[in-house]
Amino acid sequence: MDFPTTGIQVSPAVAADPKHAYFMQQALLMGEKALECGETPVGCVLVHNDKIVGYGMNDTNRSMNGTRHAEFLAIAEVLQTYPKSILQSTDLYVTVEPCVMCASALKQYRIRSVYFGCPNDRFGGTGGVLSLHSDPSIDPAYPVYGGFFHNEAIMLLRRFYIQENEKAPNPRPKKNRELNTKFEDGDSSPATPEINTSL
Amino acid sequence: MSVADTINAIKPLHGQIVPIRTVQETRPPEDYGNAYVAEVNVKASSKVIKALDAKLPRDPSLPLNHLRRFAKRENLPASLRETLEAKGSLRTGTPTIFVLIAPPLPDVEELLDLLAPYAPDTYGATSSEEDKPVSKITLVTTTIPLQPPFNAQQATKWSETMWPVLFNPAAPRLTVAPPAQILNRAQQSIQPRAGHYLALARKVAAEAKASGRGRGVGAVVVDPEIEADIEAEAAKQGTSNLDSWMDAVLCVGGDVRFARSEAGKPSQTDLHPGISPNPACSTFDADLEGGPDLHALMRAVELVARCRREDSEHQAEMAAKPSPLSVVYADPQLSSKLSPLESYFLHQAGFPETSASNATEPITLSPKKRKHEEPNPESTAIPLDSISTDLSTQPQNETETPLPAPPPSTLATNTDPSIPVPEIEPASTSEGTTSRIRTRSQGGYLCTDLDIYISHEPCLCCSMGILLSRFRAVIFPRSGRMKSGGLASEPVIAPTPVLDDEGQEQEQEQEKGDDERLYYGLHWRKELNWRALGFEFVEEGHEDVEDEDGVVFNA
Repeated sequence: MDFPTTGIQVSPAVAADPKHAYFMQQALLMGEKALECGETPVGCVLVHNDKIVGYGMNDTNRSMNGTRHAEFLAIAEVLQTYPKSILQSTDLYVTVEPCVMCASALKQYRIRSVYFGCPNDRFGGTGGVLSLHSDPSIDPAYPVYGGFFHNEAIMLLRRFYIQENEKAPNPRPKKNRELNTKFEDGDSSPATPEINTSL
Repeated sequence: MSVADTINAIKPLHGQIVPIRTVQETRPPEDYGNAYVAEVNVKASSKVIKALDAKLPRDPSLPLNHLRRFAKRENLPASLRETLEAKGSLRTGTPTIFVLIAPPLPDVEELLDLLAPYAPDTYGATSSEEDKPVSKITLVTTTIPLQPPFNAQQATKWSETMWPVLFNPAAPRLTVAPPAQILNRAQQSIQPRAGHYLALARKVAAEAKASGRGRGVGAVVVDPEIEADIEAEAAKQGTSNLDSWMDAVLCVGGDVRFARSEAGKPSQTDLHPGISPNPACSTFDADLEGGPDLHALMRAVELVARCRREDSEHQAEMAAKPSPLSVVYADPQLSSKLSPLESYFLHQAGFPETSASNATEPITLSPKKRKHEEPNPESTAIPLDSISTDLSTQPQNETETPLPAPPPSTLATNTDPSIPVPEIEPASTSEGTTSRIRTRSQGGYLCTDLDIYISHEPCLCCSMGILLSRFRAVIFPRSGRMKSGGLASEPVIAPTPVLDDEGQEQEQEQEKGDDERLYYGLHWRKELNWRALGFEFVEEGHEDVEDEDGVVFNA
C-alpha cells in the first residue's frame, strides 16, 4: 500500500504496517466532522487490540471550554465502556501532534503510544515545543511517531483557517484568499499553517 | 454551620505574592560568538563606523545593540588588553581606540584593507610622509555575548571578561518575561485579597478530600474586573475593600478524581462510601487516579464554560447541530455533580444581589435542598432533549444538581424597592442579567482575563489548560509546590541562618525543597502563543514545601 508519510520521525518498519494508514484515515474522518461542526479540525481515534474504542474531535467551540480537545473526548468515551487500565495497551491516532496539555494528559492516562499527522509548532507537547512524552516525570514515557498523512492533516487545517470567523470581535475578510494546496516536496517539516489555541 | 457562615469565617492566609520568574529569566540562554577587535586612531572613530556600516553586512536577527562599538584601552577586559598588547598594541604614542567587529564576520584580509586608512600611526598623515613604514592594524579574535544581558550583574560580568556591555532593563523582558508595568499592576491588584482566595481554595480542597471524591486540591476563579468595582465602591463608601472579597468569586472547583464511574462500575468514591479521605489518597496508583480532566482546575474551567453556555442563542445553535460525539452530553467532568461549596458559589454568581445587599443574613443553600428543587426548564435546556436518547448513553443521575436558575431580569429586581440593585454587576449591561459569569453573547469567552487561585501547583496538563483558557493570572501557595507541577521555574531559594567562624549568625542562601524535578515555568514561555502571569504566595513563617500525605501526585 502506498503510504504517505512525510515526517522524518516515522521509521520504515512502522510506516510499513498498513493498519496505521487505516486508523489515521479514521482520525482524518473525525477531523472532517469537526470541520463540519465549526470546530478546529483535529480528529483522533483510540485503538485497542486493533479495534477503535474511542472517537474524538475538538469540542472547544460547542462547549465554550478551551480545554476540550479531541484526545479528552476520545478518552472519556473509552471510559464509558472500559476501565482506565486498558489505556496502557491502547494507541492514539491523531491528525495533529498533541498539544502540551494533551501530551501531559496522555501520559497521566498511561497511553501506550501516539501516532500523529502534522507537527504542531506552536503548542506541540511531543516534540513541537516541549517533549513531555519523553521527559522524566512521575508517569512513564511513551513513544511518538509523526508524519502519517501529514499533508491531509494540514489541508484540513488550511480549509478551516480560510473560513471567515463571524464570531470574531473583528472578523477578517478572507474572500480573496485561495486555498493553498501546494506542499514543498522533500521538505520534512513544512511550516504548519496557523494553528490556533483550539488544538 | 451553613456554607455561607463557613465562608464568612474564612481566615485569610498571611503573606506576600511573588512573581514566578520565567525559565528564560532563571536559565538565560547564554549564546556566545566570535568577534574581531581592532585598534584604530581615536580621531578616525566616526569614519571607521561609517566605513564598517557601509561595507559589512548585518544580521537583522542579531541586533547586538547591547555591545558597545568602541572601547577605550582602560575599559577593555584585562585578558583582552593583554592579548592586544602581545599582538603589538602599544600603551604609548598616538591616542587609539578599539573597535568591535561583530558577526556576521567579514574576511580578515578584507577587513584589514577596510581599516588600513584608520591605522593609529598613519591616519591623517600627509603625502610627504609616504615613505614612513605603513602602520599595521592590530586585530584579535574574541568572544562576545550574542544576547542582551538579563540583569546588571550579568552586564558587569560580561564587561569585565568579554567586551563592554550595556544593560537595558526593558530590552530582554519584552520577549522572555512579562513587561514590568503589567506585572506590577497585576501584582498590586492581586496582593490584597490573595490570602482570602487561597484560604477559600484550601477550604474547597479540604471539602474535596473529606467527601472522598478526590484529593485535597481546590481552585477558585476570580474576576479582577469585579475586584476593581469592589475597590472603587469601598473607596466611595470609605469601607475596607477586603469585606466583600467573596463577591468577585465566579466559581470554585474541587478535585473529583475518584468520583467518575468507569465501564459502568462503581467509582472509587462509591466503593468506599462515608470513608474520608478516600483510601486511594494514600497511594499513587495510576489506575485509581481518574484523570486530569477531573482535577480542580479543569473542573473550575468547565463550571465557567457551563455558565457561558447558558445563552439562548448558543443553545439554539448547538441544538440545531448536535455534536456527533455522544460523550459530550454525558458530563465527563462531573460538572453537574456539585459539592456544597461549588453549588453555593455558582448560586451566588447567579444572584449577586443576595450577597451584595444581604451580607448579614446570607441565604443558606445546601445541595440537599437544591436537589429536590424543580429543575429550572431553562437550565436543562442543554441540548439533551434535542438529541435522540440512544446518543445519551449515560442516564441522568438523580443526584445531579441543576445549574442555578437564571437570574431574574434587572427589571424584576428593580420592582422590589427593598432589594437595592447591586453595584457589582459587570454583566448587567446586556440582556438584563445580573450573573457574574457572562454568557458568550455578553462577551464572556473562555476564562479570558480571569484569575485562578489554586491550593497546589497545577500539573503540566492543568498548567497548559490555564493558558488555553486564557486566564490572566494563576496564584498558588509556595507550600503547595508539587514535584509534578508545571509552573515553578526554579528551586525555592531561601536565606537560612548559619553560624560563622566567630559564632555570629549569618544568612546564607540555600536551596530548599525537592530538587529532583523539572521546572517548566509554563505560565510564561516565549515559545507558546498564550501566556499568563504566575505568582507564588509565600506565607509568613511558613515557607517550606509541604508533602501532601507524603504522596507525589498530579495536582
